[in-house]
Amino acid sequence: MAALRTTLAIAAFSIGIAASSASLAAAPPEATPPGIHPTLLWTALQLVPSPEWMGDGAGSHAGMRWQVTPLLYSFGINRKLSPWRSLIAEPVVRHAGSVELFLSPEYLSNSGTFAEHWLFRGGLRSYFPLVSKGEYLSTSLGASLLHFDHRLGAAASAGIYVLYGFVGAEVTYCPTPGLRGATATLSLRVF
Amino acid sequence: MAARALRRLASLALLAATSCGFPASIALPTLKTLLSTPAKVPNKITSPVRADARLAALWVGHATVLLQIDDKLILTDPVFTSTIGQVSRRLVEPGIDVENVPRVDVVLISHLHFDHLSLGSLSLLERKIGTLLVPQKGLVYVPDYPFESRELPTWSTWESGGLRVTAVPAQHAGFRYGIDGGWMDTSFTGYVIEYHGLTVYFAGDTAYNRGFVAATAARFPSIDLALLPIAPIHPRAHMEDRHVDPEEATRIFVELGARYFVPIHFGTFINSEDAPGDPLSELLIAAAAHKLAPGALHVLTQGEQQVLVACGPAPQCHR
Repeated sequence: MAALRTTLAIAAFSIGIAASSASLAAAPPEATPPGIHPTLLWTALQLVPSPEWMGDGAGSHAGMRWQVTPLLYSFGINRKLSPWRSLIAEPVVRHAGSVELFLSPEYLSNSGTFAEHWLFRGGLRSYFPLVSKGEYLSTSLGASLLHFDHRLGAAASAGIYVLYGFVGAEVTYCPTPGLRGATATLSLRVF
Repeated sequence: MAARALRRLASLALLAATSCGFPASIALPTLKTLLSTPAKVPNKITSPVRADARLAALWVGHATVLLQIDDKLILTDPVFTSTIGQVSRRLVEPGIDVENVPRVDVVLISHLHFDHLSLGSLSLLERKIGTLLVPQKGLVYVPDYPFESRELPTWSTWESGGLRVTAVPAQHAGFRYGIDGGWMDTSFTGYVIEYHGLTVYFAGDTAYNRGFVAATAARFPSIDLALLPIAPIHPRAHMEDRHVDPEEATRIFVELGARYFVPIHFGTFINSEDAPGDPLSELLIAAAAHKLAPGALHVLTQGEQQVLVACGPAPQCHR
């Protein structure tokens, strides 16, 4: 008798699971993924550099910075959607709160060899919304490793952004001996 | 250096505006509004819930309307911020102070442009919103808030406590930032709201599309109130694929067979080459040409509320 009750209970439970699965399958999707993907226009806009000024003990140099986001995790995005983005991320997905892995080649207008012109940086940056879920005003904190003039260094950065993150100001400081200096960047970024 | 940075900033703002489909002839006057102060709305309503109303509409400005259908409150495309997208300041302040907006059962977002989906406004209202509905794919631009948010694809219906909202077709554009037009191609809609036998059509932004209007009229043959945009009008070649003009709005009203027509989406932000007053004067001409029934057209000013269907004896009021 006990075995029969157990069998019936298991059967009822199984039917319940099957029924709930069926109703879930029949329900319309809670949220349609946006289908974001790089376009020709987006690619062209990524070629627009952000101007920067680097200052160290020896003086200051103008430069240009580009940026690539291999991976971004958004903790501000609507919870019904995937928080992951690669290469391209909607402004509000980034500035409503996110952590991104970034790679950043920088060209400095000093005189010197190739290694003295190009700086390569990679790191993590986190964005936090301040006004209108970050579309009107957001801030960022970041840490990066950089390679410049055959040397490796570490840097910390902070930024503030307006106009959906299209425009911002970033300050980066590198305390590593031999690379010590600060960089101010006018960040121009569309998606 | 600072001047160059400012010029670059202005250029970028202009680029952002023009990339959203704004010609420079509109983008420049729009940016100039940043230096202006919105006109005051006198004698704002502080208690918008009417005991004497079965159906009432309060025009907050632009596409923002606070609707009351018996005991349910619906808010359309809420914009209470002083600017939209940081590039355009409102010409007239909101018709009701945000602290006087009561808790609303549902907020309807017709599409994702900054003058319709205002994240700052949703933050101001976030404790007062029951559910927020957006068009298909729209949730990506609605970050996490404490209220429930759902997408409503065309012809699907959301229902709660007898209040039914159905997404109906519109002809507009689905992007928010311009560059996202390549994939945000379905995020615009109109809505039909039904409750206790009353029916309201909120068009959002739409061009005239005879098939869409016919399909909506066939499904909802007795619309009591149509909230229809009447601007922007000019430049017509730029607008006609996305926006009805007053004559087309009137045609939609007639073809829907609706009882009352409340025009919206004019006089609050600069988004066209229209001179002030153009949309309303063209609307009056269209209303005469289409021989609208006396009392059908209700032109509200920002902050004005009208009771369109009043309560009868107590049992009829459902309150």
